[in-house]
Amino acid sequence: MSIFVQSLISGILIGGVYALIGIGLTIIFGVMRVINFAHGDLLMLGMYATYFLFTQFHIDPFVSIVITMPLMFLYGAFLQRFFINRVLDALPQNQILLTIGLGLIMSNTVMLAFTSDYKILSTRYSSSSVSLHGISISLPLLVSFAITTVITIALYWFLLKTDTGQAIRATAQDREAARLMGINVKRMSIIAFGLGSALAATAGALISPTYYIFPQVGSSFTLKAFVITVLGGMGSVIGATLGGILIGVAESIGGVYFGSGWKEVVVFVLFLLVLLFRPSGLLGKSRT
Amino acid sequence: MPSPSFIRRKWITSAGGKRVIPLLLLASGVALLALIPLSVQSTYALHIMILTFVSIIMGSAWNILGGYTGQYSVGHAAYFGVGAYTTMILLQFRHIAPWYGMWAGVGATIVTALIIGSICFRLRGPYFVLASIAVAEIFRVTALNLKDLTNGAEGILVTELPPLKFGDTVITDFTTKVPFFYTGLITALFVIFVTRGVQHSKLGYYFQAIREDQDAAHSLGINPALYKNIALVISAVFTSVAGSLYAVYVGFIDPGTVFSLDVSVQIVTIAIIGGIGTILGPVIGAIVLVTLSEALRSNALTNALIHAGLVNADSRVGVFLKENLSHAHILIYGILVVIVILFMPQGLLGFARRIVTRKRKG
Repeated sequence: MSIFVQSLISGILIGGVYALIGIGLTIIFGVMRVINFAHGDLLMLGMYATYFLFTQFHIDPFVSIVITMPLMFLYGAFLQRFFINRVLDALPQNQILLTIGLGLIMSNTVMLAFTSDYKILSTRYSSSSVSLHGISISLPLLVSFAITTVITIALYWFLLKTDTGQAIRATAQDREAARLMGINVKRMSIIAFGLGSALAATAGALISPTYYIFPQVGSSFTLKAFVITVLGGMGSVIGATLGGILIGVAESIGGVYFGSGWKEVVVFVLFLLVLLFRPSGLLGKSRT
Repeated sequence: MPSPSFIRRKWITSAGGKRVIPLLLLASGVALLALIPLSVQSTYALHIMILTFVSIIMGSAWNILGGYTGQYSVGHAAYFGVGAYTTMILLQFRHIAPWYGMWAGVGATIVTALIIGSICFRLRGPYFVLASIAVAEIFRVTALNLKDLTNGAEGILVTELPPLKFGDTVITDFTTKVPFFYTGLITALFVIFVTRGVQHSKLGYYFQAIREDQDAAHSLGINPALYKNIALVISAVFTSVAGSLYAVYVGFIDPGTVFSLDVSVQIVTIAIIGGIGTILGPVIGAIVLVTLSEALRSNALTNALIHAGLVNADSRVGVFLKENLSHAHILIYGILVVIVILFMPQGLLGFARRIVTRKRKG
């Protein structure tokens, strides 16, 4: 029982980070209807930025978010402005391939700059944990979950209460109608992609004390992000939040009961089942 | 499959009319290719050509499903890997020669394709793409974990191939690259021929109708599920053959080299860069991609830059390029994909055609 509770808790904690990744992807999909295959690579860039700041300037990974986030927002905005915007009306497969191509460029440029060696960012708290009623919880995971919660709440506030946030949601609901209402749709797209990439990079920064850092780390997170967004219903921010936590828990518990090698299969089978029986996602937003 | 009567008619008109010239050109081109191993001594040149043939098979196979039927599978690594693994497992653990094992691979792939098809073809657009990726990933992780069958992450290494015999005469013992060259050439020509058949046959028109508008095609009496599955099986069979050929030629496979998302992306890239839904698109894509990535891998590009006097070999830049550029041959895939999508969405072939027609008009 304690093993179950233990894996449930660590699943929820890592799920918080997954939620950030998923929310980023779902915002991009919602506003642009583009599936961003470079999402994991944006996360990878966040990891390397954190690693670079830590080794060169000794900035704590959790603190460095304040630098990484705005930088990656600008980078995402740049990608949207100069690449993605040009294919918004193109065939979906061309959009997908463009983001795949951008992802390949990112991961291979990083490989040229940092080589493909695995890097480890070890802080003094990397392997420390807190114990609670016989259940031990990894400290970096706990801290990252707290930060994710704060960021997610801030994001909800931004999307629900501010004018820009509402304009983004309006664009996601109906691009044409939003344009007719006088919303600058292009600008919203740029902000959305910037937000998405900032969130992915933040997730990367948060997991960098506990994960191996290498140029190809992105693709597995891209896949996870897809699973999370489909699970929650593409374009739904609340869905992505819940989907992230669900996937974290499924992975963690699947890893305990099927062996860690099979935990990804558990996730993908779950994914296919949802695609087949509830293609609109667990929360059932509209499919189009 | 292409309807035979249609092909016959085509060949007859070819013999009588102005189609003779392209046909002759084609025949002499093929003859020239077939003579290459006799005159070219460089094993490296043969190696690149074999890789190109495998890429042509992969790209053309994807093209039948993705280009003609409009189902953008980004999970073709599943079929590539099933072919490669079946052949290699039979060869290594059961000592069954690859030219028989390959057919077992094809059989396994057909079963796999029908199962995957029955799941994924219920979905459309981005959902289909995501499902196809998920299925291929399930295969990768399974191959990684079924250690008794697949050797897991260690992969399967085959160093010796049994000689191919006809009666008592040894046809080849596979010590050179030449038999692989001919196998690749013949299979590549065959898949191009099949693509041609698909493009001009009733079956191909059904495929293209589904690509253009699935619902309209359905309302005209075309069964989308049936024809999508037919396209998938044709496509998967050739992908599987490419996988077997690659595995036996290289002599080593592991889940990362045959089942990974990179393989699926590479397959799609070949077709898209050349131009999807065309016969020659994947051929051009394969030639361009293999040549460019090999040029990077072998440091030919760096050497050329140094020779041209653009980069000093001893300077920091020169040393850096020499040491690192060969590892980043995938980078060229990325850059090419981005350029092609942004500036030539119809692929290299479509781009060339547009330039030609523009010149004719002007």
